[in-house]
Amino acid sequence: MTSETTTAPASLDTADLYGPDSMLRRLCHEARWGLAVARATVLEAAHPQIGAALIANSTFVAHPWRRLRNTVLSAQRLVDPDERVRRREAARLNRLHARMAGTDAEGRPYTALDPGARAWVVATLFESTVTMYRLGGRSLDGASLDRLYAEFRAFLAQMEGGEGELPPTLREFWRYYDLMVEERLENTEAAALILHRLFAEVPAPPVLRDRPAVWAAGRALAAPLATAVTVGSLPAPLRERLGLAEIPGARTLTHAAYLSTGLASRLLPDAWTRLETVMAMFDPTFTPRPGTDPFAGLRRGTAKAGALLRLLTPDRETAAEAPPSAMRFFAEVLDQTGNGSLDWPDLAAMAREIATRLDLDERGEDRLFTAFADWWRELQAALDTDHDGRISGHEYAAAAATMTSPALVRVAEVLFDATDTDDDQAIDAEEHRTLFRVAFEHDPGDTGTPDRLTRAAFVREFLNFMAGRHHSEGYDRLFAQA
Amino acid sequence: MNERIVPRHVACVMDGNGRWAALRSLPRTAGHRAAEAAVIDVIEAAHAAGVEWLSLYAFSTENWRRPPAEVAFLMRLVRRAIRKHALSLHARGIRCRFLGVTDPRIPPPLARDIADLMMLTRDNRRMTLTVAFDHGGRRDIVEAARSLVRDRVPAEEITEETFARHLPHPDTPEVDLVIRTSGEQRISNFMLWHVAYAEWVFPLVLWPDFRAGHFRECLDLYRRRERRFGDVRVPTTTGDAS
Repeated sequence: MTSETTTAPASLDTADLYGPDSMLRRLCHEARWGLAVARATVLEAAHPQIGAALIANSTFVAHPWRRLRNTVLSAQRLVDPDERVRRREAARLNRLHARMAGTDAEGRPYTALDPGARAWVVATLFESTVTMYRLGGRSLDGASLDRLYAEFRAFLAQMEGGEGELPPTLREFWRYYDLMVEERLENTEAAALILHRLFAEVPAPPVLRDRPAVWAAGRALAAPLATAVTVGSLPAPLRERLGLAEIPGARTLTHAAYLSTGLASRLLPDAWTRLETVMAMFDPTFTPRPGTDPFAGLRRGTAKAGALLRLLTPDRETAAEAPPSAMRFFAEVLDQTGNGSLDWPDLAAMAREIATRLDLDERGEDRLFTAFADWWRELQAALDTDHDGRISGHEYAAAAATMTSPALVRVAEVLFDATDTDDDQAIDAEEHRTLFRVAFEHDPGDTGTPDRLTRAAFVREFLNFMAGRHHSEGYDRLFAQA
Repeated sequence: MNERIVPRHVACVMDGNGRWAALRSLPRTAGHRAAEAAVIDVIEAAHAAGVEWLSLYAFSTENWRRPPAEVAFLMRLVRRAIRKHALSLHARGIRCRFLGVTDPRIPPPLARDIADLMMLTRDNRRMTLTVAFDHGGRRDIVEAARSLVRDRVPAEEITEETFARHLPHPDTPEVDLVIRTSGEQRISNFMLWHVAYAEWVFPLVLWPDFRAGHFRECLDLYRRRERRFGDVRVPTTTGDAS
């Protein structure tokens, strides 16, 4: 039993907020915590402010796997033994949340920085974790509960910079939680979307992206189960408010699901039940943390399994061999929210994804967002002919290929600067490989020597790709991944 | 001892598909289709004989000039063959590699299948199968030269060894034996660097008719030549010429 491999070096012990035997840190690496996180998402989405932010800004319906991966990576960074890693991630999340504000459908303002809303996010994670242990057949004792709660409070305080709005004691927490469920949560659009659409329509994970039929068959079986398990574990008052009838057998099913994952994490070898293992199975290019991959061998194995699976799964020949058309490019790459048109949330999602993957510092992130915002204004001015604030696939396809865009050049330059670490104004073999591996999740590996790209050549390549003029596996993976 | 010498690296220029089809009044594509059986037979025979490296010339950079319908057919055929045989190649411990494969005209699904096959078999060591696809020997040499310039290697440090390290798949040993079927006797821009000291045999049989027996005959021919010339061969290759 050697699940804890990330103890801090001696010099940093004092800076390790959570302690070397942190419960939260262990949870962030356990696959079954995924069940708790999924359940917590429903509880979060039922909060009016969070629900509104989710609907307006998140791409979780179109790209749930990407969101899951980003959430896990972010949580892992926030509990890292190294204080610098934690601080950097908290600052990044705050910048990201600061960009999510607006008014919901009923005209109520919302902001992702609202302390009450952020406290609720952490509260749902804590409560869902406690539920996971309880339904898994091993309830936490009093001391462990206190400890876990203290760690979650520290988790929130880290982001807020102060204490955060979670009650100081566990006893008060349960009162707060019940009150929130009874009085604050609503039947929001986001909660309904998760329960009724997300599970049923969840797109294929990267490993099966090109095998929609296989995925659809598996999903038809698994989706109702996932819904039943999640619904079965929700608090009864919320279930009623969401208009969810008691599904016969759902409680047993929920129990069984949590119990089996609990048993699995006790009985199976640690490596099998780690979150990274499961995610690597779904996404062969998943890298837990660039440069520090303790699962290289395992990842290689799962990458091979993914390759074999793709090779053995029947594939339509003619349809698959058609080059990606402008419309396909629009649907797969540009329309991040999957709502059929291009608007600011789509571009914001792209900027967020790039900033996260490349781990840009504040200056780089600001430059990137400014460039994307400028690009959006350019697009609106040039392509939004009916002035409805959105650009349809047809509007884009008709004009984008001939557009010249100074803002998009700046986007390319930020990418280039983030990659050109030795500042020699060219991306050499090593930098090119790193860019593809980290940002675009593509290892050029054995397929040949990567080209050395000058700034001009890189910008040209990026512009061609964004105009849908040519196919680039690296960028496709970055943006199109579900 | 020489009786047991097996060339370490055998390469095949798979020539004669079009003529095979023409002799039967069939379209050229029928010749390509029939070639698949020969490919599988040769892989099996090489594997059984203990050949460590087998290279097959499947598609040259010049082949893009063929009629578009034929090119498209070849792309589909290769893709189908990869998917059909991936598992059995892997099960036999064969590492599969592709040499070339840089042209953007290669359909993305085929490129992905190629990448998958290489990924799947990358740790196999029993035999390495290199498929030259969209390959040009001169292009590889030019690329290696570019790579040297980019790395700012001083002129006096450029030797045959350092140069070879900049070729694609630099661990590929020199070719010991090239088999070109159908009686044609040309190099056709194939692995130019690696064939410098290779023995060549030119069986008259057209590639779709080439079978394991023909392959073994070629190995025999190589062995006899080794007897005659082995001791004067430049010992830079594999050390098998004793």
